[in-house]
Amino acid sequence: MLAHTGMLSSSSEKTNTPVDLAAVTDPSIDPLIPGGTELLRLVDEALARSADISRAAEAVRTELGPAGLIDAAGVIGNYQMMNRVADGTGIPVGKGSRLRNAELINRLGLDRLDHTDG
Amino acid sequence: MTTLGRRVSTGSSWCARVPEVIGVKDFGMMDSIKTSIRSDLIESFERTWATLAGPGAVWTGAERLKIAAETRRARDGLPPESALPDGAIEATRLLAADPAAARRSWVENLAAGGLDLPRYVELLGVVGRLVAVDTFYEALGLPLEPLPGPRPGVPTGEIADDARPGRGWVPMIGGTSINQALSLVPSENEELERLHGPMYLTFEQMSDLTFTRGLTRPQMELVAARTSAVNECFY
Repeated sequence: MLAHTGMLSSSSEKTNTPVDLAAVTDPSIDPLIPGGTELLRLVDEALARSADISRAAEAVRTELGPAGLIDAAGVIGNYQMMNRVADGTGIPVGKGSRLRNAELINRLGLDRLDHTDG
Repeated sequence: MTTLGRRVSTGSSWCARVPEVIGVKDFGMMDSIKTSIRSDLIESFERTWATLAGPGAVWTGAERLKIAAETRRARDGLPPESALPDGAIEATRLLAADPAAARRSWVENLAAGGLDLPRYVELLGVVGRLVAVDTFYEALGLPLEPLPGPRPGVPTGEIADDARPGRGWVPMIGGTSINQALSLVPSENEELERLHGPMYLTFEQMSDLTFTRGLTRPQMELVAARTSAVNECFY
């Protein structure tokens, strides 16, 4: 999560796209990114394996087009895989990344998720 | 379909099958979504199915499909059913349904109980790739692709003898990193990377913060970050 929240911040800066990073941990917050609210809902409904997934998918398709929906489904699937790989092999966040993202870790309360030494 | 430089048959029918999905018809999007799935994604899913069904480094194709089936049962909240060794069932179910609960001591205990690290790493790769493809279809409201039948053959025994213990819980080649997380079993690491590119970005493309396909890079990262947040994956 830390890696991609960092890349969200960096890519938004690089592309001059406004973003509220707090939406990553609180989807009730508008992330400001075009289609962001719909994308967050798709993630949450997909991971909950919700019966409402079709409505969430249709909302993304309406907002971002079929190719956007396909990309979103791909990214969700990929990180279902990569999260398992990271958690299952105990990949730690490096000291440099921790330092660079110290403010983000503190603001979003991410330290509670770190169990790589456990 | 090309797998490892040769043509193989999976018996699957990724594009030809007309899925029956409750609810999706109401939105009339089934046909257009099916036809919108990029060819590189279809090819990577076909390859995933073919490699899941064939022998790996330490598990046979039949065993890998038992791991896959157990993964689906765990995610569905169903009791274990496979004839895998106890440690493999435990590992599969936790990695499938509650991966944030994994701990170093748990992996060490599995190894002490007979699920050695190569078998654990390969199992993790199978679980991860299956969940990736299944989630893709779930996110689109499409039915899951049936698992294929096993391909015969004996495991290759190809374990990286240059993998070394590091800060992670399993040995890796070239130091601990997410890109090399499964490198103790090189074939699994390679297959993960082959799926990673079409589903998200190749490791090389990740350095391009302006990359745009169906989504802009910030939109992709929002999805990746939120997925990891819901999964409580700190990394």
